[in-house]
Amino acid sequence: MDPDAVAKAFVEHYYSTFDANRPGLVSLYQEGSMLTFEGQKIQGSQNIVAKLTGLPFQQCKHNITTVDCQPSGPAGGMLVFVSGNLQLAGEQHALKFSQMFHLISNQGNYYVFNDIFRLNYA
Amino acid sequence: MSQMDPDAVSKAFVEHYYSTFDTNRVGLAGLYQEASMLTFEGQKIQGVQSIVAKLTSLPFQQCKHHISTVDCQPSGPASGMLVFVSGNLQLAGEEHALKFSQMFHLMPTPQGSFYVFNDIFRLNYA
Repeated sequence: MDPDAVAKAFVEHYYSTFDANRPGLVSLYQEGSMLTFEGQKIQGSQNIVAKLTGLPFQQCKHNITTVDCQPSGPAGGMLVFVSGNLQLAGEQHALKFSQMFHLISNQGNYYVFNDIFRLNYA
Repeated sequence: MSQMDPDAVSKAFVEHYYSTFDTNRVGLAGLYQEASMLTFEGQKIQGVQSIVAKLTSLPFQQCKHHISTVDCQPSGPASGMLVFVSGNLQLAGEEHALKFSQMFHLMPTPQGSFYVFNDIFRLNYA
């Protein structure tokens, strides 16, 4: 499959799940997965989803501006680099963010091994 | 051989990369290899010569990167390291800096150093 198509499909799935059913993200991570969220380092799917579901907002919408991807090495992984806007319910101005994922193939399906998220402050 | 702290390695790499970019862009050739990939504002470039040709032909001669954040994580069994950088790019003669985000996937060299295997750069437009 075309890597750009895989990356776009993953991004669409990840953020629509985040926006509509955050606990559902647990299936996209594994025990070895790592999230660095605004500098805080978290490991393991349970801890990562606890962090994401514990964020101080219930409703949000990610609007994606750019998606770039590259193969990450001989093991068949993929690096996905995303930029966009995060709109929180009740907030007038969206927050700009950048995020990178390192996806590892597991019997034809991808999971997130590395995830690093930063807001881009004005 | 003792394992160096990944945060220290990534900070040292970032400092070296951007100071080289800002003062001696041609010198970045030492940080890439033939299989290296750069995606620069969506444009895909492969190989050290093509990458450095792209970086040295950008439409500005002088610039200064100011780094706001550096995050790193080990990328898997091959001992690679993912480095995620955000900061401001000040171009000579321009009043306002440009915000950017960049990610590097560093792989170890046999000599005990690191080279850039994956590099993705985006300006963060207002």
